[in-house]
Amino acid sequence: MEWLQHLPIRRKLTITIVSICGAVLLLACAALAVFEFLDFRRTLVREATVMADIVGTNIRAALAFDDAAAAREVLRAVAAEPHVMAAGVYTRDGRRFAEFLREGVKSELPDVSAMEGARFEAGALNVFRPVVLNEKWIGTVHVRTDLDGIRDRLVLFAGIAALVLLGSMAVAFGLSAWLQRPIAEPILALAETARAIAERKDYSVRAARQSGGEVGVLTEAFNQMLTGIEEREAALHAVNTTLRGEIAERRRTEEALAMSEQHYRSIFANSPMPMWVYDVDDLRFLAVNNAAQAHYGYTEAEFLAMTIKDLRPAEDVPALLEDVARAAVGSSHRGEWRHRTKDGTLIDVVVHAHDIGMKQQRARLVVAEDITERRRSDRKIREQLAWFAQLDRITRAIGERQDMGSIFQAVIRSMEEQMPVDFACVCLYDAAMETLTVSRVGVRSEALATQLTLAPHARLPIHENGLSRCIRGQLVYEPDVTKVPNPFPQQLAAGGLRSVVLAPLLVESQVFGVLVAGRCETERFSSGDCEFLRQLSEHVALAAHQAQLHAALQRAYDDLRQTQQTVMQQERLRALGQMASGIAHDINNAISPVSLYVESLLETESGLSAKAREWLGVVGRAIDDVSHTVARLREFYRQREPQLALAPVRLNRIIDQVAELTRARWWDMPQQRGAMIELRRELPRGLPEIMAVESEIREALINLVFNAADAMADGGVLTLRTRTVERVRAGEAQPEMLVAVEVTDTGPGMDEDTQRRCLEPFFTTKGERGTGLGLAMVYGIVRRHGAEIEIDSVVGRGTTMRLLFGVAEPKSATAGPAPAALKPAARLRLLIIDDDPMLLKSLRETLEGDGHVIVTANGGQAGILAFQTAAPDARFAAVFTDLGMPYVDGRKVASAIKSASPTTPVFLLTGWGQRLLADGDIPPHVDRVLSKPPKLRELRAVLATVAVDDQP
Amino acid sequence: MVLGGSAAQAQPAMSREYELKAVFLFNFLQFVEWPPTAFSATESPLSIGVLGDNPFGRVLEDTVRGEVTRGRKVTVRHARRVSELRECQVLFIAASERGRIAEIMAELGDAPVLTVGELPDFATRRGGAVNFFFQQNKLRFEINAAEAQRRGLKLSSQLLSLAKIVGPSLSVGRN
Repeated sequence: MEWLQHLPIRRKLTITIVSICGAVLLLACAALAVFEFLDFRRTLVREATVMADIVGTNIRAALAFDDAAAAREVLRAVAAEPHVMAAGVYTRDGRRFAEFLREGVKSELPDVSAMEGARFEAGALNVFRPVVLNEKWIGTVHVRTDLDGIRDRLVLFAGIAALVLLGSMAVAFGLSAWLQRPIAEPILALAETARAIAERKDYSVRAARQSGGEVGVLTEAFNQMLTGIEEREAALHAVNTTLRGEIAERRRTEEALAMSEQHYRSIFANSPMPMWVYDVDDLRFLAVNNAAQAHYGYTEAEFLAMTIKDLRPAEDVPALLEDVARAAVGSSHRGEWRHRTKDGTLIDVVVHAHDIGMKQQRARLVVAEDITERRRSDRKIREQLAWFAQLDRITRAIGERQDMGSIFQAVIRSMEEQMPVDFACVCLYDAAMETLTVSRVGVRSEALATQLTLAPHARLPIHENGLSRCIRGQLVYEPDVTKVPNPFPQQLAAGGLRSVVLAPLLVESQVFGVLVAGRCETERFSSGDCEFLRQLSEHVALAAHQAQLHAALQRAYDDLRQTQQTVMQQERLRALGQMASGIAHDINNAISPVSLYVESLLETESGLSAKAREWLGVVGRAIDDVSHTVARLREFYRQREPQLALAPVRLNRIIDQVAELTRARWWDMPQQRGAMIELRRELPRGLPEIMAVESEIREALINLVFNAADAMADGGVLTLRTRTVERVRAGEAQPEMLVAVEVTDTGPGMDEDTQRRCLEPFFTTKGERGTGLGLAMVYGIVRRHGAEIEIDSVVGRGTTMRLLFGVAEPKSATAGPAPAALKPAARLRLLIIDDDPMLLKSLRETLEGDGHVIVTANGGQAGILAFQTAAPDARFAAVFTDLGMPYVDGRKVASAIKSASPTTPVFLLTGWGQRLLADGDIPPHVDRVLSKPPKLRELRAVLATVAVDDQP
Repeated sequence: MVLGGSAAQAQPAMSREYELKAVFLFNFLQFVEWPPTAFSATESPLSIGVLGDNPFGRVLEDTVRGEVTRGRKVTVRHARRVSELRECQVLFIAASERGRIAEIMAELGDAPVLTVGELPDFATRRGGAVNFFFQQNKLRFEINAAEAQRRGLKLSSQLLSLAKIVGPSLSVGRN
């Protein structure tokens, strides 16, 4: 291998690659040759075996029929294969039956039978195969072939292998020549570079990096090494140059130094900062610059005669000495001191000191910076910040308050405690009256305020003084009020105040008040104080304005809530009214027969006992009251005042009736509980009559008696009293005569709140038992009569309810026609239509009592039918019909009858009657509307008109 | 069956001749295919019938004893009348029957039977299929292939190549 090492790298690589290729190919060819040889031998055996088998099959019959000639024919066919040297057939017992020998081949056929298989012997292949007939072995076939085939095949293979080998080597050579370049070239380039550097000593040459990998790294490292060498060479060169330069520089410096000393001396002398140098040991000034002379006022000569102690106030000297002693040579330090100038003014300075050695003396250079102005502005800023903080606190305090009074209180308190001031108050301005009213005075200022007659609610007239300027929106500061001749400042001065600030409170450029602050010394308000008060007054004004807005909003909200409640109340009343009107209708229908029969009985039954007559009278009145009560139910849903039919009424008589009607309540029911109510009546004779609706008055009194009885659960005295009262009305000379009726109980009485509210609808003290409508109804009745109601009640003593009525004008009673006169002269044929059988029956019976002929119809349809089918000689003079009926109502009936006979009067008889009359809502085709319960009198009056009409 | 060890003798004795013929008769079974109609059942034996005076003695029975060909046992039957040998697949008509060959052939009709005879014109003129004869002292046989084909028999080409073909030429593709 040694020879290989001396070859160039290119050749080394080529030889290596080609050798490897050759060796590998040779190995592969040898392996293939062995395989080929073995494979060909196997093929040979197989071919010979197949041949022998074919011969065996074809030769079966010849062997079976012992035909040797035929057997030879078969064997001859084998001769077609040139490699077959000989073939033979043997019988089972080993006898040679037939054979074939190629020319030139000696008969060497083995005389062997029962051999099977293939054997290579003596350059030939012998194959033995059995002949089988009917699954029996009947003989053996022998084929011998030569091995020339193998030899030819191997020769051919060797030739091909040699060609492939040569070709491959050539390709390997070509490829290796190409592939070895990436390896060889960078190395060659590197070698070339190295050679060039060696020849020229030029270290700036660099090997080009052509590839990555180890060669690349090598190139890199080589280049780096070159760079290192190059740098070191450059550095050496630079050092050389520098050294030369430095030598020149030093020469120049020495020249400059001389100039520089002069220069620094000038800098020291002309520096704008005061500077000096002093001896640390005896503290005398050694040098002073111009600025120091100008600032402190001493001349240089004066300075040099002084020590630094002379610049300090005497009290600072010990600290100075301590500081000087502490200073070490070479150190710098900084300190704040007070210095005194020549004219004695003290100034604040920051001193920068630096120890220097100066001609064997221990000296110290000092630069003094005057910071007096800075200190002053710092103080001012701090002061302002404090004001801001205070303003913030006060603003917060008033921000939490919502009414003006407490806002003012908070402000004044803050001013007194935090500013502080000796006197503080807030006045409100009344533009119309041109006065200020003291609203709030500080807690500490109260004594002073009383002395100054400035207590709350005191009024101050505004003259041409500080106040008027303030009212115009200016902040007024009087440093000494004693010097101002006007009354208000003098008033303040009299109280011991000297300096006073008046700050206006403005909202939208309008002054609504003044903030007053005072101190007992003159000139005690700085401009900062004034500014603070001005800003404070703005904040206060804003807060007060907001409080006013808030209050207004609250009022608006309250109004809204009250309105809402009223609306809800009205809604409830309307719903109740609708219900009430339905109930009224039904009640009117139900009591109609009672009313009719009572009236009829009293009129027609002359044989009644006095007691029966009296009782029937009570029943009649009760029924009348019921109907009136029911009629009044409409007040719940009607806004309009009804037209009252007032008549003269005797109160005493009504009180007797009320006592009778309410007996159950004040007598029977309390007795069941074991309580006793005593009823007293104080009814003077000769009481004037009043103009009223009797039933309503009765109703009101019944309600009052009920309430009085209910108030006395444990018994007591119930007094019903009437009397006349004289009262003088304001602005009238003549006293007015009134009639009073009082209901007094000895119950627990009402407190103030209950008294105030007891007349409201739905207000009740009776819990579930009460409706809250009783007194409301009483109040309604009283109002309708133009009367008044008074409540006298003492808790624990009892209550008196008093109704006051005007006295009736004495006038002739409007007597209607006598009932007897209303009796009709004629007998009339009448049709009465209603869906209530009870009512029909009662009407029929009472009117028949008057001699009329009555036909009744139960329902609208039946009524119309009855009218239309009436015989010509039995026509109806008039028709009474109900309004509300199922299917066909009163309006339809009226319309049908008028269309059939326009002249026949139709009277509507209805439980809604009152309401229809009151609303003026009389349906078309109806001549009159009569209310239920019907009065016999009214019926007669109506029929009288019919009778007149029918009697031309 | 295989040939006996003494086949090399030039003039075979009577018994020697019939030993050979017995072997040949048996060997015919290997080279001839019968149609399925030739057997009454799948397990029916292959039968060799001998019509007329038996020239074989016991040789034929000895030759076929215990033999099985194409899954069928091989049997031998002897009779004087054709009707008794209808089940046979090979019918050897002995020389004793030379006077009534035509009668026998008429009785056989088209039956799938390989008729074997030993008369000089048995195959050439008298309707036989196979006929034994001697040539240069060797037992040979001639085959009327058309006759065999008419009876639905398939003869192996190897068999035909050993025989002397007589009678009309084969009509190929008849069946």
